[in-house]
Amino acid sequence: MSNVLRQYLSAVRSTLTAALTLEDFSSQVVERHNKPEIEVQGSKEVLLNPLIVSRNENERVLIEPSVNSLRMSIRIKQADEIERILCHKFTRFMMQRAESFVVLRRKPVPGYDISFLITNVHSETMLKHKIVDFIIQFMEDVDREISEMKLSLNARARIVAESYLLAFNA
Amino acid sequence: MSAPEVYSIAQTPVTCHAFNADRTQVAVSLNDRHLHIFERQGHEWKNIETLSEHDKVITSIDWAPKTNQIVTASQDRNAYVWAQTPDPHTGATVWKPTLVLLRINRAATFVRWSPNEDKFAVASGARAIAICSFDPENNWWVARQLKKPIRSTVLSIDWHPNNVLLAAGSADMKARVFSAYIKDVDKKPAPSVWGEKLPFNTICGEYSSPAGGWVHAVGFSPSGDVLAFVSHDSSISIVYPSGPTVYTIRLNSLPYVTLTWTAEDSLVAAGHDCQPIVYAGSEAGWQAIGTLDDTSAAGGAKAGGARSGPVGRLNSAAFNTFRNADTRGQTSSSSTGEGDTELLTVHQNTITSVRPYEVGADGRVARVSTSGADGKLVVWDAGAVSALTGKMSGMRI
Amino acid sequence: MSFRKIDIDAYDEDVIQETELVEPDPRDPTQVLADAKQKQADVRSALARNDVTGALSIALDQAPYGPNVDEAKNLTLQTVVSILNSTRSADIPAVLKDLSVENQDTLMKYLYKGMAMPGWGDVSGSVLLIWHEKLTEVAGTGCIVRVMTDRRTV
Repeated sequence: MSNVLRQYLSAVRSTLTAALTLEDFSSQVVERHNKPEIEVQGSKEVLLNPLIVSRNENERVLIEPSVNSLRMSIRIKQADEIERILCHKFTRFMMQRAESFVVLRRKPVPGYDISFLITNVHSETMLKHKIVDFIIQFMEDVDREISEMKLSLNARARIVAESYLLAFNA
Repeated sequence: MSAPEVYSIAQTPVTCHAFNADRTQVAVSLNDRHLHIFERQGHEWKNIETLSEHDKVITSIDWAPKTNQIVTASQDRNAYVWAQTPDPHTGATVWKPTLVLLRINRAATFVRWSPNEDKFAVASGARAIAICSFDPENNWWVARQLKKPIRSTVLSIDWHPNNVLLAAGSADMKARVFSAYIKDVDKKPAPSVWGEKLPFNTICGEYSSPAGGWVHAVGFSPSGDVLAFVSHDSSISIVYPSGPTVYTIRLNSLPYVTLTWTAEDSLVAAGHDCQPIVYAGSEAGWQAIGTLDDTSAAGGAKAGGARSGPVGRLNSAAFNTFRNADTRGQTSSSSTGEGDTELLTVHQNTITSVRPYEVGADGRVARVSTSGADGKLVVWDAGAVSALTGKMSGMRI
Repeated sequence: MSFRKIDIDAYDEDVIQETELVEPDPRDPTQVLADAKQKQADVRSALARNDVTGALSIALDQAPYGPNVDEAKNLTLQTVVSILNSTRSADIPAVLKDLSVENQDTLMKYLYKGMAMPGWGDVSGSVLLIWHEKLTEVAGTGCIVRVMTDRRTV
């Protein structure tokens, strides 16, 4: 693993740890409701400054904390058209099954590829540091997954092309 | 120096806890709408009673030691006072709720009995604090509200020992000291460092958190002359009102959400960092002196080496993962246990409240109890402070 | 205009406005800009003496915040980034240890600001990440929490 990637992930890890300081907070705007403040944006004073951790123009993470929820959005590296398509398909596949991932958001924040919404319920029912571990693991895996898919796609394309062109060789 | 007593009482978070006077029973909210009462049986706590009257999460509980009454506050905008009365049919003693007329229209967030137990204060999301006193004519509790100048949800309150002054910390980043003087209940208070004439809703002090964090917890010192508050910007502030002198300590670690004084010169704070930290000081200055959570003793040799600070600990685990990946080609997914951060603290999740448990012969709090989002209830020896070696080296006052 | 789209909560007289959350900078915007320019010159002379800690302290002290001072903010960011870029990575921990806690917090704010605009000026992602890692080691996550809570954004 390259040094810059390690620093990038450790910066995301420490920022996420700092943001995962959530508590139960009942809405001040609507009676008897309790909703993620980062999504409703109802009271300014319970939202915190959003932070961006970036490795370069194409890879960055946006973390938007609030008193009882935090939204984390990842922009995944997409070097060319194929990676763009693969990334789109991959994230779409995940987000359609968002319930199974518990903390995944159904729709990414504009400008990013995939978003997570972590609320105080998640940080209470799961161990905070394990949630952080999961996200970091996800970020590691998604890059690898996409480059693997790209390789196998290319390999498949080569085989298809070869067997197609074989017909003219005869 | 004794090891902390650790009780895992639930699989769910323990939102708050309150012991009775002789510490044989504890009332807890397990992050749901029921009030659970546990009784100590040997080395275990058994659930002996589940009281249901609220219809949303109970946010705070306080158990009055002398009058043996429990007050609960909940997100359903209500508070109830529970008292033990004989059941008219069976004759058995049961906990009977009395409704409190709070007149607030948002969640009740925090509740505390006053030292004389004739009043209690309920903090709420309606940008108000309700000061409740008993009305014997109608047999219910009535409230008067402290409203100005609170601008946001009140997160915590604490009573001054004189039964009149009240400190409140709120999400508008301020800690304030109010007068909660009620004519029919209170005698005229003696003048203190906070002021002399104290009609209801006098503001005796207003202090901002140093870097714009919500004030999670406030606390008066045993004499009532010093105020401490912890805020979400990872800082703890100690206020001497006569100066006014404010000592602010910016932490290396995650913010605290709760605190309790153990003596005039020391206090315990805990929160997202998962371990109770002891602070000591005087009017000349304050500093962190150590943690109650001595993991090197509990976790053995393995724990000792890896422990270099809350963040350092997380990072060092991460660092090991990456180093393994780098030098041995192990990726975190293929090898078991790699990439898993381990917390070496007793509490594995946020500590939700810390309260005095036992007062020693010298008047100092000898033991404190904590409850955590990991479902644990822990009783700590407040004197068993182990040094924060290297962890807080960068800290300055 | 559709009445359904009106944000009625904004008309609640008790609601906190963005501007009330932060004490305004007592200094005049032109004064702030002049200060920033002065600091830039001071930092250059400090760097010429090879005094990185001194240069950082000058740049981070009384950093501009709040509205109407965008030019001064950009200037200060440039100054800070120029110091960060010119420091050898082996020297970073020593430099950070000598900074005051307030300045560590302010430096963290600039690191995040720099990372929010990659490719701007001579901001380099990898340099900022190195500094971020070292600063987190010295000042802990508390420092990051304060960047989130402090409304005095740089």
